[in-house]
Order: sequence, then C-alpha cells, then structure tokens
Amino acid sequence: MLTVLLVDDDAEFTEVACTIIEFLGHDVLTAATLAEARDWLEKETFDHVLLDFMLPDGSGAHLFNELDALPKRPRVTLITGHPSVKSVIKGLCGPTVDYLVKPIQREEIEAVLSKKTKPKAPAEEKIEKHFDLLIGESPVMKELYKLISRVSKTSANVMLLGESGVGKEVVAAAIHHASESEGPYIATNCGAFSKELIGSELFGHEKGAFTGAVGRKEGVFEQAEGGTLFLDEITEMPIDMQPNLLRVLENKVVIRVGGTKTIPVNCRVVSATNRTMEEIAQSKVLREDIYFRLAVFPITIPPLRDRKEDIPLLAKTFIAEFNKENGSNFKWEESQLDTLQAYDWPGNVRELRHFVHRAAIMSDPEKSEIELPKTIESPFAQKQSTTPALQAGRTIEDVEKELIYATLEKVNGNKTTAAEMLGISTKTLYNRLHAYGDLSKEE
Amino acid sequence: MTSEEFARLSVFVHDARKPLNRISMQAELVKMALNGEVPPEKALAALDKIISSAKDCSHTLSVMTTELGENVSE
Ligand SMILES: Nc1ncnc2c1ncn2[C@@H]1O[C@H](COP(=O)(O)OP(=O)(O)OP(=O)(O)O)[C@@H](O)[C@H]1O
Ligand SMILES: [Mg+2]
Repeated sequence: MLTVLLVDDDAEFTEVACTIIEFLGHDVLTAATLAEARDWLEKETFDHVLLDFMLPDGSGAHLFNELDALPKRPRVTLITGHPSVKSVIKGLCGPTVDYLVKPIQREEIEAVLSKKTKPKAPAEEKIEKHFDLLIGESPVMKELYKLISRVSKTSANVMLLGESGVGKEVVAAAIHHASESEGPYIATNCGAFSKELIGSELFGHEKGAFTGAVGRKEGVFEQAEGGTLFLDEITEMPIDMQPNLLRVLENKVVIRVGGTKTIPVNCRVVSATNRTMEEIAQSKVLREDIYFRLAVFPITIPPLRDRKEDIPLLAKTFIAEFNKENGSNFKWEESQLDTLQAYDWPGNVRELRHFVHRAAIMSDPEKSEIELPKTIESPFAQKQSTTPALQAGRTIEDVEKELIYATLEKVNGNKTTAAEMLGISTKTLYNRLHAYGDLSKEE
Repeated sequence: MTSEEFARLSVFVHDARKPLNRISMQAELVKMALNGEVPPEKALAALDKIISSAKDCSHTLSVMTTELGENVSE
C-alpha cells in the first residue's frame, strides 16, 4: 500500500481518480493548488505524488526542489494535458519522473503506482558468464567455449597457449568447472619454485627428505586426485626436472621426494604458457615428449585485440565488480567504451581490468562518471591516446597536431617520410612543429 | 495563423481536454461498477457526469469556433 498525493485542480477528476486509487489499495490525499500540496508535504510522508503540470498558482514543476529536499523523496508522476509538454519537462526534470497524458486510464494509474521505487544502483544489464567465469560473445570466444565443453567431456590433458593476461588461468578453471569431476582444482606455478623445491611441490616429499622437510607433504598431483591440476608457466619448469614429470604423466604414479612407495595419481593436467607453439618448438624449453603428453589438446586463447567486441562487456563487468566492492555507482559513457575498444591492450584482459580499476579509483566516488586518464600507459606498448581522434568539440588544430605526432612516431621521427605520409611538404611539417614549440630555431 | 491566435486556440484545447479527461475517468468507474468492484449506484452517477462533461466539451468547441471564426477575413 502506498500513500499517494494527487495534486490537480479539477475537483471532479480528483474525486473519481481517488475512488480508483483507493480501490487499487492505496491511501490518497488531494491538493488543488501548489500551496495545498506544500501543506501536505510538510505534514505527511508520501510514497508517490501525482502532479498536474498546470496548477492555478504555478507549474507543478515548482515542487521539484521541495520534493528533492525531503528526507524520503516520493516518486513523481507528472500529469500533463498535452503530449508535447512531456518532452519539454523530460529535459527539465530528468529521467526519474514518469508521465501520464490526459485523458488518463485506470491501467495507466495502476502502472505508475505499481512501479517499484527506483533501486539505488540501476539494474545492470545481464552479462553472461560462460562456465560461470568467462565473459565474451565474440566468435573466437564462442569457438573457445565449444572447445572447452568438448574437451571437458574427455580426460585429455590440455595445454593453454596465449599471451600474458588473455585468461589462461580462468580457462583452466572453466575446464575444471565444465568437467564436473569429483576431485578438486589445484593450481601451481612451475616458474615460482627453485629447482630443489619444484620436485617436492609436484610430487610431495617424505619427512626428512631434505633440510627443511619437517613433515610429510603431499604433492599437487596427489592433491588433485580425481580433479584438475593446473600447471601454470609450464615452459619455465627447469629442464632437468622434466624427465620426472614425464614419468608421472606416462605411468600415472608419483614417488614422493625421499620416498620409495609409488602412489597412483589420477587427474587431468591443464598446463599453460605465454609462449607460442613455434617458440616452444624452437627454443627447447620443453622436451618434445612432455609437450605431446601435456598438449593432447592444445588450445590457443586469442589476444584481446582479436576480439575487440568483448571489450565493452569486460569493461562493464569490471566496473560492476568495482561498484559492488566499493559501494560506488560508476557507469561508462558510450564514448568511453568506444575509446577502450579502440585500444589494443597488449597486456590483454588483465591490463584492461587494472586500467578500469585504476580509473575508478581516480574518479570522484560521489559521481557516476568515470574519469579516464588522457593516455593509457602500458609497459607493453608506446602510449596510446584515449582521446578519440574524432570527437565533437575538438579543434582541427588539436586533431592535426595529434596526427602529426602519431605519424612521426610511426616513422621514428623521420620528418621527410612523415611529411610524405601526411601529404604535406616537409617545409609545412617543420612550420607546424615550430608552431608547437617543438623545434629549436636551428632545426 | 498568428501566434496570438495559436495561443487562444491552445486555451480552448486545454479547456476541451478537461471534460475529456473527466469522461475517461468516469468511464473507468463505470467499468469498475460493472465488474462489481464499486457499488452500482456509482455507475449511474458517473454516467450522468459523462453526459454533462460531453456537453461541456461540445460547448467549449462551439465557443471556440465562434470566437476564432470572428477573425476570419474575407
Ligand atoms: N574472458 C574473461 N572473462 C572475464 N575475466 C577474464 C577473462 N579473461 C581474463 N579475465 C581476467 O583477466 C585477468 C587475467 O587473466 P589470467 O590470470 O587468467 O591471465 P593469464 O593468461 O593466466 O595471464 P599470465 O600469462 O600473465 O599468467 C584475471 O583477473 C581474469 O579474471
Ligand atoms: Mg596466469
């Protein structure tokens, strides 16, 4: 039940409208003028105000500031006589106001009154997470999802290839998730252990196997029994440890360091590397026999620049995550999403995620707009401007300057080549650069 | 039409819309009475009001044609 204030100067209309609103199960009070409405607002708390736009002592819009100042702002529905007024007030009052255009029908009253009070954070569009983890609807990602569900039905070992930050770890978890295996998901990083310790990490050790081995320890192969073992940075594994790994993969048993007993193991191994297949083949970081054991089913995860249409989805998800953690209410502008989409993200999804979080941290937490830094600084790439070249309101000089610098960068500062590419004379280019204050007199 | 004429026309339209709005509301009430949602006597009263609003509206339109018609130049 709501408490409704109906402000309209037509007594006959308000009488019938009240009968209807009461029938709908609400309490309703009426006011015929702005003054009467103000009186009620002082005495009562309302959930909803139905407000005629044209009142004898002024426009209903005059009440807006007062309504805003109330401790509990009621929802407002403006009643107007003419549809054209609607668009005018819409600009005036913003999107939080509903409208009814006379003549009014019961269903319309019912509809505006039954509308839920606007939740603080606008309901976000639902972005699907494939396997509960992966975001992206680009064709290449869809292809990847197909591979994941296929391989997860088998027990084959999978090797994930892809640049840093493309999501190898998430894909590994997705494979585990999709395989619905009984056992756990255990992850370890082969590059993070010294030669001495990697054996113990993978295969476990017996008490006193080496200095520091105080107790017995299960290795990750044992821990992942019946589940998935994720071996990250597999190509960083010391080459002389690889025969031991090969033995485990072939015989499906481990012997703990310092032990003698063979322990059967049974898990799917998903491994990952930043290196490309060619690199692996040429660089000998991985023994060929191991490669074929681990990469029964190799999957290459495409870099983000090859699935740019996923960037807005990812950016929205990351900002929603941030909002949830921080109670903020940031929202992307379409143009900002365009900017993010134009960038190449050499550090892939991880870089995008960090960038989004950084931008959110730097923005005013009281506002919903996100301040993007002027440039995206990446250790992976030269600075790329986030200012789209074609943006309304930028001066031609600005755009021209940017184009000139971008061209110079491309040709490593060779002014003759740059001028040629720009279709201007070298002299003109020099003049411009002088004008920007970027050339000393002698040059 | 001059803008002054248009302003006067708008006033008439506004006045004519008022009874239309009443009619529409009263008609809703009649519907509710037929559904047994409000007592039937309400329907009768509502129908009387509909008739009188229809007359109001018609009257407004006549006044409008007369007044605006006076300015028609030959
Ligand atoms: N498709 C995706 N949907 C949602 N989040 C993703 C996706 N891909 C990657 N991420 C997120 O991006 C970040 C980097 O992903 P991840 O750690 O899996 O990359 P990686 O390929 O393992 O990188 P590295 O080679 O540097 O270890 C993580 O925070 C991850 O959650
Ligand atoms: Mg990783």
